[in-house]
Amino acid sequence: MSWFRRRPRQYEIDAELEACRAILVDRYIERGLSAEDALQAARLEIPELEHLNIDVKEVTMRTTIESCLQDIRYAARALRKSPGFTVIAILTLALGIGVNTAIFSVVHAVLLRPLPYDHPEQLAFIWSSFKSASSRAPTSGPALNEIQHRSRLARDIAAIWVGSGTFTGETNPEQVKVAFVTTNFLQMLGVPPALGRVFRKDEQFNGPPAIVLTHGLWQRRFGGDPSIVGKGVAFLGESATVIGVMPPDFQLHFPQDSNVPPDLGVFIPFEDDLSKRPRTLYFLRVLARWKPGVSAPQAQSDMDQVAAQIRGLYTDLAAENLKMEVAPMQRDVVRDLRTPLIALFSGSAFVLLICCVNIANLLLARASSRRQEIAVRLALGASRSRIVRQLLIEGLLLCAVAGAVGLAFGWAGLRGLLSIRPDYLARMPHVELNLPVLAFVAAVSLASALLFGLAPSFESTKSDLIGTLREAGRSSQTPARRTVSALLIVGEITLGFVLVIGAGLMIRTLTKIERVYPGFDAQRLLTFELDLNKFDWPERISFVRDWEATLAALPGVDAVGGVSHLPLGEYSNWYSPYRPEGLSENEAATLLADYRAITPGYLRAMGTRVLEGRLFDDRDRSEGKQVVLVDDMLARSAWPGQSAVGKKIETEHFTMRGIIPVWSEVVGVVEHVHNHSLSKRLRPEVYIPFPQTPREHLSFAVRTRMDPAALAATIRLELRQRDKDLALSKVRPMTTYVKQASAPVRFTAVLAGIFAALALLLAAIGIYGVISYSVSRRMHEMGVRMALGATSSDVLRLVMREGLVLTSVGILLGAVGALFVSRALESLIYGISAVDPISYTIAIPVIALAAVLGCWRPAAKAASANPVDALRM
Amino acid sequence: MPEPSEILQGTLDMLVLRTLSLAPMHGLGVSDRIRQITRGVFIVKPGSLFPALYRLEQNGWIEGNWGESENNRKAKYYTLTPSGRAQLTKEKRKWNKAFSAVNRLLEAES
Repeated sequence: MSWFRRRPRQYEIDAELEACRAILVDRYIERGLSAEDALQAARLEIPELEHLNIDVKEVTMRTTIESCLQDIRYAARALRKSPGFTVIAILTLALGIGVNTAIFSVVHAVLLRPLPYDHPEQLAFIWSSFKSASSRAPTSGPALNEIQHRSRLARDIAAIWVGSGTFTGETNPEQVKVAFVTTNFLQMLGVPPALGRVFRKDEQFNGPPAIVLTHGLWQRRFGGDPSIVGKGVAFLGESATVIGVMPPDFQLHFPQDSNVPPDLGVFIPFEDDLSKRPRTLYFLRVLARWKPGVSAPQAQSDMDQVAAQIRGLYTDLAAENLKMEVAPMQRDVVRDLRTPLIALFSGSAFVLLICCVNIANLLLARASSRRQEIAVRLALGASRSRIVRQLLIEGLLLCAVAGAVGLAFGWAGLRGLLSIRPDYLARMPHVELNLPVLAFVAAVSLASALLFGLAPSFESTKSDLIGTLREAGRSSQTPARRTVSALLIVGEITLGFVLVIGAGLMIRTLTKIERVYPGFDAQRLLTFELDLNKFDWPERISFVRDWEATLAALPGVDAVGGVSHLPLGEYSNWYSPYRPEGLSENEAATLLADYRAITPGYLRAMGTRVLEGRLFDDRDRSEGKQVVLVDDMLARSAWPGQSAVGKKIETEHFTMRGIIPVWSEVVGVVEHVHNHSLSKRLRPEVYIPFPQTPREHLSFAVRTRMDPAALAATIRLELRQRDKDLALSKVRPMTTYVKQASAPVRFTAVLAGIFAALALLLAAIGIYGVISYSVSRRMHEMGVRMALGATSSDVLRLVMREGLVLTSVGILLGAVGALFVSRALESLIYGISAVDPISYTIAIPVIALAAVLGCWRPAAKAASANPVDALRM
Repeated sequence: MPEPSEILQGTLDMLVLRTLSLAPMHGLGVSDRIRQITRGVFIVKPGSLFPALYRLEQNGWIEGNWGESENNRKAKYYTLTPSGRAQLTKEKRKWNKAFSAVNRLLEAES
């Protein structure tokens, strides 16, 4: 092994010694000694290399390792010698590392890891936007056709729309989410199926529809039947042929506002020609794969041209100023998560910084008590670099242990995080401690070692040798060290303050959002969904009427109603244009509303209030006068200052002839319902009586006086008696949806709160450490002061002042920092100003209290000092 | 003539540097020259000399090269490097400071 080889340097020293011996031999012979005696004398005078105190060994690899091991052993011994310091330092650092590990695992899984598709970087969504619409929109069938034919840089363009459907047959009927896709959709994602095949581009299915199952549904409903491919299954009221099964880890990752949920059951191609669908029905979520090497700006300019061509074709779209936005899939999928996650990540970094500051302080204090030791080693000839190395190795050892403990903390923290994660994180499975996360932990530990390890070590080797040796233990703090300590404390308070403000803003936002009135009363409201696909329209209408009557007759039920789309639900939204009477088609071209088909009892069951006119009742039949209800948002913008009741409005209805515009009469105005977000009013709303638009699925809302879970069991029983082919799905209290809607905010607020609490605790500990160290160094001074007539309270005040002055400076700097942070958090804040006075008014005393708590004990100790003892020290 | 004494810890480096600032010489030459200049007050034994030379070379203050000795023997000759010269000045200043401090102390006590 080359490590063990003697290096040329050693030969060289040997040679030098030998040469000198030869010179000496010459001299001795000259003086008259015999050659033999001369040789012996020379040997005696110049010892062998081994007996010389030359540290030649340092240059070989083996001995470098040996001396490092020696340093490590020494470091371990030094750390063991002060267990208090070591435990506190390791726990503090492990806490910081643990928090960062947990958050980074989420950040990595959600933001950084590439999507599990073939060349995910080539995939991008294409969203439409209209002049007056506040949010981006899906695309219509004809527009998709135009895009597919006009784009020059896209290799493939596919579209998806998610609805629901029921599997029937021998086992219990089951309602699942159904992805209607263009035939190229699955092929384009490039995930090979686990069984069979996926649809091919431009494939035509004559006869029974072909479907591809997700792995979950295949396992659940078909028991993982390995020969399912080619079999016919009862689906959507007919027999469909299974042509393939997707692999277990396959999942669609779509942005939240796309209404494409991850838990799909089945893929089925659109049966009709999409280009013949109405031009105003925006429902297709478009995904494109660009040709290799096409950059995002190139793709965007390609789509700009397509949009311009489409605008040239249709005057109404020109009036709407139709634009097409290319959103790279990887980024777009997490667009709502980016800001909160980055905010949380920064928060956790702040916590780590505070931990490092605390440890730097500890090390500083320790370094000064070790000045003696270091001075002695320097005097004994240890080189400065060796001492720095020694201290660094101590820091690294600390970090290695803390990193391991921190990893354990992080793992536990991650379990905790996953248990409170909102649904949006559930979309991202496999949040775990993997290699990149471990690498991150190592890097963070190392960086912290450098951060807090280096400063004190330079400081202590710089200290003047003679001075330290002379002090022999009776040292006071050097002014330089006190400044460093003070700066560290100020930094800590600043960081802590920023975190507390951030947490304050998030918690205030949460309370505001939880207090939002969503346009309905979610308490004591049970909801569930039914798929009515198997009925023809008249059957559907009569079934729903009878079914609602059955429900209403159940004990404990106050009111019952059905709606095509529950507010805050996951079902693909239905929104379409509307045109108030008196506006030309062009003028109304950009007007879009959420459409809901409801039964007469629905709004009453939900507790949504009528502002004007009436609700639907039994008069509103399919063949009768077409009527609608609108919300106040629509009424105010369409007929400002007038009564909306009795006005005519063109709305889109599902009729036997398809989806067509129908002139209907507004019979009432109800309050706005938050359909999509607790914090935003997105679109106005139009309600159509269910008999006039009998959509294929209906969610029921049952207001009850009893336990919703018990009621659910009764309802399930009723349904089975009535119809074996119908499946009850999504049975949950309405409060679940409301909770889900506020979950992301709650998640952010809870974490920010935890970070702030940690920061406060750490800051208090940090202040305690610095002040008590400073007090212990100044006991002598305190004794002198008291001997000269200072009272205990004078001393108390003196020490407290030291801590509180630093705290005030920290708060001042923190307030400045918090102003910047608030700006960055603006998009996460709801219902309060970014410079929320309440958050600031609470944060200042809270931080000050933490500081007082930190200072109190050392100050009390100083004040209780016996002047005689203090002087004798 | 007083008993020759071992060199004070920390001053050896300075003495070696100073000696080499006069002329390049080999290891034995350095110890000869120190004994000669200090008139036998200080002798540097090989046991401390060679480690010192090695240390100084490691620090880049002196540089060793093989050459011929007076008796045509091979020997390693050391020369002072520029950074060695700077180091010597520094050490001298330190020494003077310490020396005068000690003197003042001794005078004050007598």
